[in-house]
Amino acid sequence: MLHYVNFTDPNSEEMLRMLDSIPTCPGVCIFMDINKSTDMKYEGGLKEWGRKLNNTFNVLLRANHLQGNLVKGIGDEMMLFITDEELLNKNSDGNCFGLLSNIFDSLSVIRSHPVAGMFLNCKVALHYCTEVHNITFFEGANDYYGSDIDLTARLMSKSIENRIVLSEKFYVKVQNDLIDLGMDPDSGCVKLISERYIENFKGVPTSTAFRVLDVAS
Amino acid sequence: MEIIEKKMDSCTVLSIIGRLDTTNYSILEKKLMEMIANQQDRIVVECSKMDYVSSSGLRILLMALKKITLSKGKFVLCGLQDNIREIFEISGFTNIFEIHPAQEEAIKVF
Repeated sequence: MLHYVNFTDPNSEEMLRMLDSIPTCPGVCIFMDINKSTDMKYEGGLKEWGRKLNNTFNVLLRANHLQGNLVKGIGDEMMLFITDEELLNKNSDGNCFGLLSNIFDSLSVIRSHPVAGMFLNCKVALHYCTEVHNITFFEGANDYYGSDIDLTARLMSKSIENRIVLSEKFYVKVQNDLIDLGMDPDSGCVKLISERYIENFKGVPTSTAFRVLDVAS
Repeated sequence: MEIIEKKMDSCTVLSIIGRLDTTNYSILEKKLMEMIANQQDRIVVECSKMDYVSSSGLRILLMALKKITLSKGKFVLCGLQDNIREIFEISGFTNIFEIHPAQEEAIKVF
């Protein structure tokens, strides 16, 4: 549930009470970035750049039924958030394994599409968040704040074109989904996930474990 | 998802019934790869009873198309429901797949 925080009094006690009462909102945070689109804006002009951006956004969002989960877009980068409840009720995925598989396969379709120049390659970061709140400070807007959102942004720094970086927390959710579904722990794209890496990200007090999943051509 | 295989004189028709998603796409993948390996590369995928396709399903269809094109076979789709057609259009598949409204027309191309 979205909480709109906007108080004119900088020392408002009511604001502090409200902030103190806002519950966490567990779910999956996704950052997606389209590669080389800025270069293309200057080289090919709006027509070429806009067409490829339109096509790529459609494959990532509409084909995966994720339009409703877009929190914000800044240029060619998007932040999405899917609460536990939303993921469970999704017709398309229903769980973290389905979500990962569909994003992986979207990137794969984009990368291996026989018609050249229709789409742009992407990079992605996925994290299962528990320290997150559904808050906005701006009327009519939606946003999510919390240390786990910051961590997802940090994970993005480990991604490159055609790579999905997934936090260990997200990976564990995927493994649990496979157990629940009675599927092999190495099903589908999961067998291509790397070993575990550990990184000390700037501003994050503890070490972060993550894995990477590369989309082959 | 259920796959019904029907061998015709000129081709094989695979009818997909239900959802083609992350939990079952490997069944279709295995079926198509077996057919291609056995030189059964004249295939119609009939989709009139397929009510959902995920990106995983799209990837398998694209992979099959590429392999069959390389082997000089033919891979045709038919009977797409409107919601599926929209996903195919978004993914640029309507430009690369031969798609017919119904099975009867699809079979005639072989």
